[in-house]
Amino acid sequence: MGLREVLIKHLTLIILIVIYVILWLLREVFPEYSQLIITLLYYITIAQAYNIFLGMTGYVDFGYVSYFGLGLYGMAVAITLSSSSNMSEYIAILLGILLALALANTVAGVVGAIALRLRGAYFAIATIGLSQALRYLIEGAKIWGGAEGVIIASDLRKIFGEERFSYATITLPDTGIFILTVISGLVMYVVRNSRLGYGLLAIREDEDVARVMGISTTLYKFIAFLISASLTSLVGSMWALKITAIYPPESFNIAFSVEFIVIVMLGGAGTVLGPLLGGSLYALSKYYLGTILPGLQLTIFSVLLLVIVLVFRQGIVGELRSLLYRYSFIREVIR
Amino acid sequence: MDLNNIFFIIYQGLVLGSIYGVIAIGLSLIFGITRIINLSHGALIMWGAYTAFTFFTLYNLSPLGSIFIALVVGIGLGAAIFYVILKRLIGAHELTTLLATFALSIFLQELARLRYGLDYRGYNLYMGSINMFGYGASLSALYGGILALVLTTLLTLFLYKTRLGAAIRAVAQDPVGAYVCGIDVNKIYAIGIGLGSAFAMAGGVIATMYSPTGINPYYGEPYLLKSFVIVVLGGLGSVIGAYIGGLIFGLAETTLFPIYDYLNFHSPSSMALFTEFIILLLLLLLRPQGLFKR
Repeated sequence: MGLREVLIKHLTLIILIVIYVILWLLREVFPEYSQLIITLLYYITIAQAYNIFLGMTGYVDFGYVSYFGLGLYGMAVAITLSSSSNMSEYIAILLGILLALALANTVAGVVGAIALRLRGAYFAIATIGLSQALRYLIEGAKIWGGAEGVIIASDLRKIFGEERFSYATITLPDTGIFILTVISGLVMYVVRNSRLGYGLLAIREDEDVARVMGISTTLYKFIAFLISASLTSLVGSMWALKITAIYPPESFNIAFSVEFIVIVMLGGAGTVLGPLLGGSLYALSKYYLGTILPGLQLTIFSVLLLVIVLVFRQGIVGELRSLLYRYSFIREVIR
Repeated sequence: MDLNNIFFIIYQGLVLGSIYGVIAIGLSLIFGITRIINLSHGALIMWGAYTAFTFFTLYNLSPLGSIFIALVVGIGLGAAIFYVILKRLIGAHELTTLLATFALSIFLQELARLRYGLDYRGYNLYMGSINMFGYGASLSALYGGILALVLTTLLTLFLYKTRLGAAIRAVAQDPVGAYVCGIDVNKIYAIGIGLGSAFAMAGGVIATMYSPTGINPYYGEPYLLKSFVIVVLGGLGSVIGAYIGGLIFGLAETTLFPIYDYLNFHSPSSMALFTEFIILLLLLLLRPQGLFKR
């Protein structure tokens, strides 16, 4: 296969990565919009990570925010530890990333073992129960500061030094989030075109048939769940450096899970380009609606969500694909 | 801890449990008939609480009166929700119905926020108190518990002793079979969702009789989360199961708090909630069909 064929075959991925890089360059060129662009990348990345599970399997996890929250806590706890034992900045960040991954994978492993045996509505209820149980355990047993939260600004100053504080809270996490955006896009693309991906889509369409066809449904769902939770916890670990104060109610707020679900659905569940389009549209409209119609964003979003669910169930990418299906070139690219 | 103390905790648990039961019934009823998990259940409870608050402060109407208004408005609202939104989603993928009812929930909360703001509201409801095992017990809470029992009994009688009730149970069992037998399935869905919503709103009114404070647009959220546990306890879709589940849940809540307090936990109320959600997970894993079904 020549280079031309390879390029055409993977055009979707190339377009995706090019847009991500353009977004990143825009951040460098227009520093005044840098935080808006990072917010955009944040939504795109988590939506892409969630897409690997929600979009591919059709299972709704309302407790998905927990993995983001555990990422936040993983980094925050690592920073506090490193600060008290005078470790270097690289070790502190590395420890944070590892701790975020370990926490998220432990909880996702337990949830996977318990909840993934359940179907549909029962699964959704179980995940609500789990994220809330986690939150109340942290508050009730006063783990990681309980309701008082973990505040890491002074620890970051100690580890990185006063003059590199803005590096630790802006440059480093922003770069980290951009790298994760690219990684999550790549992972989604690879999964989508692999045996795992086809198996997952079969589960979404009809789990019983998929099982009869010889797909190890529980294992497939479990793998997708762990990949998805790991990526989200990594975003959380970077985000902790930006917000520097972590509290249980925000870290396990079901409303954030719903925000991610809306983006996945808006873009098109199970599509590679969906999270990019859905995430950008969502972040931009949230940002601008906040200035044009302050206080009415949620009202508008609730109506918008209803319209998506009732009329455009396939999301932007899915609808575009159906609309332009007769053009084979576009059909190959938009997916 | 003497015997009277224990009796009083059990009494409180039963009153609270009866109220939890009636609050959870709507969720179970709607699921039983339409297979839709109604995430706007909490928002309807919140509107019930605002109904009680508004009629009490504006027209000095006791919650015992405004509960009828809540029931009537609830039926209308529920039927409207069915015809505008849920009718197209019967039998659709869970993802779709969960999102639709969640969007509806946010919309109803936003309406409340635009109308009442985010401040906590409350009204001054005092109906006297009685001596219960040596402790003072609020009469309005007791009336709330009794009212909850009465409403549950009426609903059960309606479902099991009337033709319309039989039609609702038929649709819940097998919509296609019911349709073949000449039942207007869509009408039954509308009535079922209307009844479920009416009970959610009435539950909100009764909840304010237990404690008439802390009403804000997110008032219903804790009740929604607890309703999940209760409904799973009693078996998703079962009306009587939901009420009994509520009683068990109320008893658990009033007994867990003193236990965690005694064990010197930082926040006993959070630990009680933690235990409730762990119970939910264990139930889903071990007995997803509920405690009472074979």
